[in-house]
Amino acid sequence: MEGNILDAMRYVGAGLAMIGAAGAGVGIGLSVQGALTGMARNPDTYGNLLTNMILGIAFSEAIAIYCLVIAFLMLFKVV
Amino acid sequence: MEQVQRRPWRRWVVLVLMIVGFVLGGIFVPVQPEITVAAERLIEEPLFNLGPLGPFYLVNTIPTLVVTLVLLGIIAYFANRSLKKSAETDLVPRGIGNVVEAILEILYNLTEGSAGAKWAKAIFPWFATILIYVLFANLLKLIPGFESIGVLHQVPTGHPASGGVLMPGEVENGYILAPFFRGISVDLNFTAALALIAVVAIQYIGFRAQGAGYLSKFFNTRRMFKVPFFGAMDFLVGLLELISELSKILSFAFRLFGNMFAGIVLVAIVAGLLGKISILPAMIMMFELFVGVIQAFVFGMLTMVFMAQATQGHGEEHAEAH
Repeated sequence: MEGNILDAMRYVGAGLAMIGAAGAGVGIGLSVQGALTGMARNPDTYGNLLTNMILGIAFSEAIAIYCLVIAFLMLFKVV
Repeated sequence: MEQVQRRPWRRWVVLVLMIVGFVLGGIFVPVQPEITVAAERLIEEPLFNLGPLGPFYLVNTIPTLVVTLVLLGIIAYFANRSLKKSAETDLVPRGIGNVVEAILEILYNLTEGSAGAKWAKAIFPWFATILIYVLFANLLKLIPGFESIGVLHQVPTGHPASGGVLMPGEVENGYILAPFFRGISVDLNFTAALALIAVVAIQYIGFRAQGAGYLSKFFNTRRMFKVPFFGAMDFLVGLLELISELSKILSFAFRLFGNMFAGIVLVAIVAGLLGKISILPAMIMMFELFVGVIQAFVFGMLTMVFMAQATQGHGEEHAEAH
């Protein structure tokens, strides 16, 4: 065992920061579930639901992106 | 079924190409390139100095940028020529002109559906340009040769612990591979520039639609004197709106960059899992194709939706809803 304890903690911190991606995963799953239920009930709304679902996914994905930014900041010693 | 019956040799061509790929991958063992967050430098010395901005390096996203722009230019030129020719003869678009016209018509109908007929004409060019540009940027990096053929560099001191290296590349005789081409959407400079353009264009559309009244979205003093408590609340919410406008730049830039960067890391990890001649990276490439198309669509679509929101004022929105 050798190396810098600060480097080790940077990697641990980056890993911990990415836990937030779990929330985004739940959010994406919920929005896809809602859209799929709607499509199954009423197949005519397929196109409209699909675009709105992708938009909703993009918004919940933004949260995971913030986690990724924090992880990058820690990994590459930006702050 | 009938088409397969007519030309059965097509599947054999695919099989032969796969076998050739396996054999060539075994003979000429590929070197795992280094994966860094920043684009790699092709030439170690800076090309020229930009004064206070610092030195300008030839990084490996610049050749890709040139290739992308040239390709888009060629397609635009031929589509334009084809459409002009059809306009002179019988008004029936054929060939590439027909394809481009069909795609643009789908996109225009989408814009009209979300933004309304009044502002669709102003919003559509931004939406279509961003979507097509990002789509080409995302798909070009899947071409074989991208991120794999390149120049050898001397290993920098302190490798791989030196900051910036995410996955260390293979070191051969003290040299390391820096690829010639790297997808432009895997460079944060590209995505951040595109995000800045998109957000500034959103504000521009907002001012064009509402004039100075657009500012009342951020500095909301409309109800300040009628109902002081709720007026103050509105003002604070407006300030939050300002912050969310700034965070749009961040999320636009990092959404595209994060997705595409995760792609190259995934391909590198999977390629390392099962040795050099595994076929698994090909499956990941198929996933990358999907992600690339979706991200291009999301980037364009979000720009379009935010622009459509900016054209509607606060008061109007409530009036329209009821």
